[in-house]
Amino acid sequence: MQKRKEWMLNSLGILFVLIFLFPVYWMIITAFKSQSEIFQSTPTFWPKDFQFTSFIDIFKDNVGQYFLNSFMIAGLATILVLVLAVPSAYGLARFKVKGKNPMILLFLVTQMLPATVILTPLFIVFNNLSLLNTYWGPVLTCATLGVPFSVLILRTFFLGIPKELEEAASIDGCGRFRTFIRVIVPISYPSIVVCAAISFFFSWGDLIFSMTFNRNQDLWPLTAGIYNAIGRYGIEWNDLMAFATVSVLPVIVIFVILQKQLVKGLVSGSIK
Amino acid sequence: MKKGRWGEYLFIYPAVIFMLLLIGYPLIYNIILSFQDVDLNSLATGEKHFVWFDNYKALANQDGFGISVWNTIVYTLGSVVFQVVIGFLLALFFSMKFKLASFLRGVVMISWLIPLTITALLYKFMMGSGEGIFNQMLMGIGFIDDPIQWLSNPDIALWSVIIANIWVGIPFNMLLLSTGLSNLPEDVYESASLDGANWFQKLFKITIPLLHPVLLVVLMLGFIYTFKVFDLVFVMTGGGPINSTEVLSTIAYRLSFNEFQFSLGAAAANILFIILLVVSVIYLFMINKDEEA
Repeated sequence: MQKRKEWMLNSLGILFVLIFLFPVYWMIITAFKSQSEIFQSTPTFWPKDFQFTSFIDIFKDNVGQYFLNSFMIAGLATILVLVLAVPSAYGLARFKVKGKNPMILLFLVTQMLPATVILTPLFIVFNNLSLLNTYWGPVLTCATLGVPFSVLILRTFFLGIPKELEEAASIDGCGRFRTFIRVIVPISYPSIVVCAAISFFFSWGDLIFSMTFNRNQDLWPLTAGIYNAIGRYGIEWNDLMAFATVSVLPVIVIFVILQKQLVKGLVSGSIK
Repeated sequence: MKKGRWGEYLFIYPAVIFMLLLIGYPLIYNIILSFQDVDLNSLATGEKHFVWFDNYKALANQDGFGISVWNTIVYTLGSVVFQVVIGFLLALFFSMKFKLASFLRGVVMISWLIPLTITALLYKFMMGSGEGIFNQMLMGIGFIDDPIQWLSNPDIALWSVIIANIWVGIPFNMLLLSTGLSNLPEDVYESASLDGANWFQKLFKITIPLLHPVLLVVLMLGFIYTFKVFDLVFVMTGGGPINSTEVLSTIAYRLSFNEFQFSLGAAAANILFIILLVVSVIYLFMINKDEEA
């Protein structure tokens, strides 16, 4: 009896996930279909003749460059987030400094602000600083998404590390900075990786910053490229879905590798 | 000793200064901007004046502004209510201990991680009136006779975008509520079972009251994240047809970067900001109270 219930729950769970993630399946499978197959009145749930022409089409159409740009923007923003957020989170967890609570509040509040509010002023500022049409606009602004999130997650993590670790290191003659680099960073590695991954996702998904600060198409990430392609490709859904599949691929790969840690990190970062 | 202090500030301050420069400063600049008359012309000449509340008055008379406020509210409430209810039911389901539960719960997160631009495009495709799979399936099973104009009928379009948003938000709500459920004390359920309570009684008399604080946090967070929606609406409908899906963030963007009326756009963004600020303050007050209790 117990076994039967277990079997039923598992099947029910799988059925739900299959239905829920059907859109993702549909995206990938459409990318391999021919144009005429998409417009048949009865949908096919597996391509009748599997073809790769859509992928060849989009790579002729600059997708390689967009992909590289997405990587550059998300990669640089992630590095910036880590350089800023890891020491800051550690300091806010360990040191008794003035204005600690207002600073933590600052990170909490900035996480909730809409991008639209900073868009117009930053456009004017970046224009004056000649930062429009460079990688810097999206890199700097995307990092503002990852910094508060990472500071808050990592601070909670650092609070949980026993102080004796650092005390032992300082007896061995390590300065504060060396203790941080040699002792703290290595043991925090899993949490830091989660923050890096999430900051990468935030920046990878950005459309509005790149679109606003960069009119130069050679600097566009995949999201801006795909938005622009919607108009140009019209109803060539197989090409658009191939474009979408390529854009989602890195996210899914990172997710599969880090699934367990990510789920845990997301929970602790959003509640605390 | 004094040197040590400096070291401490060097750890903390770079991130704080970064956020103040890239968020704090623009925020204040945006408020000033909304009281001036900056457009593409004055941006080039540098000549600008304070017009105080003229932008806000102009905004009130702007075509589509009123409806964008209303749409933002409907969009947010519609999305959040369904996300939380569905997310809660799924959290309850996955909290039953079976082998694949935590694996499956994790896999669902994929929908939350996909860039919103891609999700928007995908739903636009599935909601196509002829070739879209939604209509093909619904007509295939005889549920409807004529295709639904998901995105081109002004009466339906907003709800179509809400459907996409619910799909994006379900996993996150489920995850937070699952965590809340796993922290509930088990002995209460055991004694309730001994007293002969059934599943519904346990749900409404124990689970929901105990989960109350977590539910509130999830509702508020959902509100805050949904209220500032941009990408989904922008890519799926661009605010159309005839303003039927226009929300505050898309109208602010359009005013600033399609019509280059920067001050008017700033004013619209400010209204979005003020509403969010109020909700955020309530939220922060709530979680603070929880921690004290």
